[in-house]
Amino acid sequence: MIKVKNLNAGYGKLQILFDVNAKIEKGKITTVVGPNGSGKSTFLKTLFGLTKIYSGEIIFKDKNIAKVPPHQKARMKIAYLPQTNNVFANLTVEENLKIAGYVLDKDKVKERIEIALNVFPELKDVLKRKAGTLSGGQRQFLAMGMALVRDAEVLMLDEPTAQLSPKLAEVIFEKIIEMRDEFGLTILLVEQNAKRALEISDNGYMFVSGRVAFEGTAEELLNHEKFKEYSLGITAI
Amino acid sequence: MILEGAIIYSNLLVLLALGLTLTYITTNVPNFAQGSYAIVGSYVALTLLKLFDINPYLSLPVLFVVGAVVGLITYLALKPLLKRGASVEILMIATLAIDLILLGAIGAYSEILSQIVGSTQAKFVFANLDFTLFGFKGILFVSTFVIILLLIGLYLLLYKTKFGIALRASMENPSLAQTMGIDVEKTRLFSWILSGALACVAGGLLPFMQEIVPSTGDLIIISIFAASIVGGLRHISGALIGGYIIGLSESLITYYLSQAFGTGFLVYGKVISLIIMILTLLIAPYGITGVDWRKVKKMLFTS
Repeated sequence: MIKVKNLNAGYGKLQILFDVNAKIEKGKITTVVGPNGSGKSTFLKTLFGLTKIYSGEIIFKDKNIAKVPPHQKARMKIAYLPQTNNVFANLTVEENLKIAGYVLDKDKVKERIEIALNVFPELKDVLKRKAGTLSGGQRQFLAMGMALVRDAEVLMLDEPTAQLSPKLAEVIFEKIIEMRDEFGLTILLVEQNAKRALEISDNGYMFVSGRVAFEGTAEELLNHEKFKEYSLGITAI
Repeated sequence: MILEGAIIYSNLLVLLALGLTLTYITTNVPNFAQGSYAIVGSYVALTLLKLFDINPYLSLPVLFVVGAVVGLITYLALKPLLKRGASVEILMIATLAIDLILLGAIGAYSEILSQIVGSTQAKFVFANLDFTLFGFKGILFVSTFVIILLLIGLYLLLYKTKFGIALRASMENPSLAQTMGIDVEKTRLFSWILSGALACVAGGLLPFMQEIVPSTGDLIIISIFAASIVGGLRHISGALIGGYIIGLSESLITYYLSQAFGTGFLVYGKVISLIIMILTLLIAPYGITGVDWRKVKKMLFTS
């Protein structure tokens, strides 16, 4: 679905990603794991056009979209969910859901909001509340609900379980599986909770210092010696 | 009489502060040329009056369009700096430069207009053209009507339209708005166009209450900034609140001080605005709309 070829990117003159090659398969969950500062989140931001690309290609539907601005990528059915500030705090929940369907027509937005509310029924009771007054879990549900409203084909999630209780994090993981299985979404996930994320994933990439250290199926990664050491905190890799 | 003048001045200040706040929220530009935008409006209204005998009240739609163009040109001039991520200081200096250009252009234009009509147009008022209703000046009703119309229009735009919600979303978090497919650039452009339009409309009404000279804008800009800062530069409603606080205080306090200590105090009206601005910054650095009133309430009730 998305092919990344020799991608070099960063912020201004600060290069973060070095020669990254990756393949995100259609209808599957691909997880990117790695230590802090390894460039996982930058990878997602780069795919969405929020960083500076020095060289390389991002092929989506046979087109190089490396230079396509973010708002146009959203129209190409690619959705990106940032780790923080992923909802509009001053807008109501209802307005947030509506604005998520900005590129869709009115009827489609209605239909997608209904779908999102079925997946996240927790939002039904808080539709008129400002998003800034929601709890951490509710906010994350809203952010993911907004991603569903967008009617995206590719969903990029940056640490969706960050700062959530283990119980709530598990609910989020279940919702991610539901989004893949029920809606056929292609999901690219960046997670600190690497073990659990890989358990629900099909494929995985391990980033170290802005480079792909190893890749494979999620199972292969889970059983990889280096990954075991990383997840146990034995080595910084 | 004094209150009447204070309300008229406040209404016009709200129009001007609203534009300043809008462009600051969307592009982070503190526009020092906002006062001169108004004077462009004043001179366009004067031109239409002198050359085509059009009453300034009737020229307001034209001023709206002219102001929109002025706002658009300013934004296009600033865009290269914004693209390079220029700091607020650089942007401030850039708008000061635009203000100086406008000041020079207005001065030169007033000379040209003077030659065309055969009498000096360097200073003028429209007060003699105003009507009265129930013993009040017409400008009181017109400026209040413009404010009400603007508020209803803004409410409908911001809360009832898709573009309006997108505009609010872009103001709060432009990078997240982009991820929703919103063309943030369009919302920025819109805010500059609206800002220029409102300022020029205010400029068309200003000569009904005070004498206009080419440099009047550089004096009003103090009150415009004070209004936006006191209200809170991060909320549109801040311009409304700040506009009335500064407008009423500046007019009323100056008047009462001049009554008590002599008319010499009248020239220090802007000092009142600056004092209120400084006090607000000390107590509430983000202005009145930036205060967490729930916290304040809690504090007052627990103490």
